[in-house]
Amino acid sequence: MALELKPKKWPGTIRTVTLGGGRRRTLAVGGGNALPLHAFEGSFPHRPLLALEITDTAPGRWPAAATEPWQGVLGQPAAAARRAVEGYGADLVMLHLAGTHPDRGNRSPDDAVADVRAVLDAVPVPLIVRGPGAGRKQNDVLARVAEACGGEGLVLHSACQEDYRTLAAVAVAYGHVLVAESPIDMNIAKQLNILLADASVDLNRVLIDPLTGGLGYGLEYTYSVMQRIRLAALGGDPMLNAPVVCLAGEEAWKAKEAGVPRHKEPLWGDERQRGINWEVATALPLVEAGAEIVVLRHPEALARLRRQLDGWFAETNRGVA
Amino acid sequence: MPLTGLQIFKLLPNTNCRKCGYATCLAFAMKLAAGREALEKCPDASEEARAALGAASSPPIRGVTVGRGPRAITVGEETVFFRHEKTFVRRPGLFALLDAKGLSAAELDARLDQWRDTRIERAGETFQIDGVAVAEVPGSPEVGVKAAVAAAERGLPVAVLAATAEGAAAMAEKIKDQRPLLAPPAHAPDGLYANLAARLAIPLVVSARDLPGLAAAAMAATHAGVADILLEPPGADLRALHHSLTAIRRGALDRIHPGLGHPVFLRVGAGEFEKAVLGIAKFASLLVLPGYGGENWLPLWTLRQNIYTDPQKPLQVQPGLYSIGEPHAGSPLLVTSNFSLTYFMVATEVEATGLACHLAVVDAEGLSVLTAWSAGKFSGERVAKNLRQMEAAARVKHRTVIIPGYVSVISGELEDALGEGWRVLVGPQEASDLAPFLKDVWSAIGAG
Ligand code: SF4
Repeated sequence: MALELKPKKWPGTIRTVTLGGGRRRTLAVGGGNALPLHAFEGSFPHRPLLALEITDTAPGRWPAAATEPWQGVLGQPAAAARRAVEGYGADLVMLHLAGTHPDRGNRSPDDAVADVRAVLDAVPVPLIVRGPGAGRKQNDVLARVAEACGGEGLVLHSACQEDYRTLAAVAVAYGHVLVAESPIDMNIAKQLNILLADASVDLNRVLIDPLTGGLGYGLEYTYSVMQRIRLAALGGDPMLNAPVVCLAGEEAWKAKEAGVPRHKEPLWGDERQRGINWEVATALPLVEAGAEIVVLRHPEALARLRRQLDGWFAETNRGVA
Repeated sequence: MPLTGLQIFKLLPNTNCRKCGYATCLAFAMKLAAGREALEKCPDASEEARAALGAASSPPIRGVTVGRGPRAITVGEETVFFRHEKTFVRRPGLFALLDAKGLSAAELDARLDQWRDTRIERAGETFQIDGVAVAEVPGSPEVGVKAAVAAAERGLPVAVLAATAEGAAAMAEKIKDQRPLLAPPAHAPDGLYANLAARLAIPLVVSARDLPGLAAAAMAATHAGVADILLEPPGADLRALHHSLTAIRRGALDRIHPGLGHPVFLRVGAGEFEKAVLGIAKFASLLVLPGYGGENWLPLWTLRQNIYTDPQKPLQVQPGLYSIGEPHAGSPLLVTSNFSLTYFMVATEVEATGLACHLAVVDAEGLSVLTAWSAGKFSGERVAKNLRQMEAAARVKHRTVIIPGYVSVISGELEDALGEGWRVLVGPQEASDLAPFLKDVWSAIGAG
């Protein structure tokens, strides 16, 4: 009996979004026309990107295994960014302005601008800037950063359905990429992109963050919503075909299982290795479900994913636009 | 391929006798085609009709059982490509590799006892090592035989990882009544092992260098009399393996070749954690893992739990007053929402503190605390009403209720609504901060 496997063709293609710009190195993501990683039946002009997360102030709740690679540069964004790119081979960096949160230091928008500037001066790669995520402060901080860093092609993380106008406006005005975040909900992801389009945002400058559930804490919801978003996108829905970014490292290291020491749970094994595995087992399924950018915390998790993806996309250039 | 209503109709008696409960044979045929009726309801259906319908309605991926007794494991029987289409049904078996070379009898016993007794409870599931993959020790066949027997005696399902046909026969023969899985070395000549599996009536792994070869090997095994088959997909690296895994599942569901309708077997080597992750997400049904410790098992078990959770089940837990540990009238009373993720996180954290607690799971229509609050489903009034309904007042004497930090704004309203003598304590925002909170704040106020 003959065995005939027909490649699956789709009407839709994922949008290509270019990060960075001006004098800054540019990276492109997206452009695929098949299910994620289905290199055997589609074309993927750009490979998934691996980012590392750095913070403006020393992080309060990272387990020891996650802070260990950052010893000496914790809370020093420029030095940490240099280590992330030159030492650990990150494609790009996400600066989390956690310290601007009213409850975690309440640093000012001007402090934030200084931190972003310092990172931009330290490394040539595109930069994701993540705000404190606290209502008005999120807008105050990210709007100031967007304004002060016009033309750098930053990725602003993030706008949500309830509050998108301010960031939509500054993203358009200063030429940045905007992350549209939805709470593990395909309808809201679509609705938000419609709203952004109505607010004159070019959807070729938008990424979707579907909200990551870490391994053991809702990963399956994110995984399935991403697969459904990708099916809709490949089916031709122009409001859902944005590339996807996932904060895998943050969610993975939040898990209790990623941090509890072995002496408390002997059956769980070595906590350092367990934490890194937790991050890999969160990130790899997300890449397989359609993440074009995964933001990680541990350089070893990055190296392990890099090894696999390098083999996968050997013939694809590393996102350079 | 499933049959159409008209194709089925042609196989029915066409007497419109109504014994099936339908007015016409055609109406009944349409229901059959939609999978809403069973052919048994037509007493006059011919043998031919039964055979044709049986073949068409057989599951696209067969089930295979390895082992016997309470720990026997059945894999396969999947019906979808994406879990959101319906659900994945049979959690893949995770087998531990056992190379008994150089182990003393006591060491062997200790290791197998430990594997048999390993249990980790997580979110309503018990994680266990599903079986033991015993490697044949070339040159010392008796070592593998002893190990296989020792594993089977403990009730653990066994996969025989053969190096030679003679060694495989020696091992499998000894435990054939425990239904071991026979896994020949990659690319072994089919006939040898297929005949052995057929003779012992045990499941067999088949492999090949490419997909057509794999499907052909499965057909050859079937013809040799093997009833239960697992497919070992080709793939030198993750990309090639992913292609094979995807093509096998797709081919099985589309029924493009009967040789593909079997569960998938995957060997994971040392340093190949990523391969196991991909395999669990993408359709592998039985994985052999190397000498792993908990740092590898726990994330893989948890991934399997996530991927094989039924997405059709609501994300809510039943509202009500839950006991963590064995709380008494002086134990803390915590409030949270009935969104299942929130509930699991809070319950897990509280459990980890070792402090017994009352957990009041409020009907927030399955929303997380903050979302529920913005939607008016976590107001002081509503929380108070829920607490009254679950008669929380009868369970604690301290009249103190701890609410999530995200909804500190409701504390006044809640205190008013609860009335005389109640006080509201604002807890942390994140479940992960519950342990220090309970330790410091609760013990400091001395309410217990
Ligand atoms: S019982 Fe059988 S023969 Fe009678 S009407 Fe139904 S399908 Fe037709």
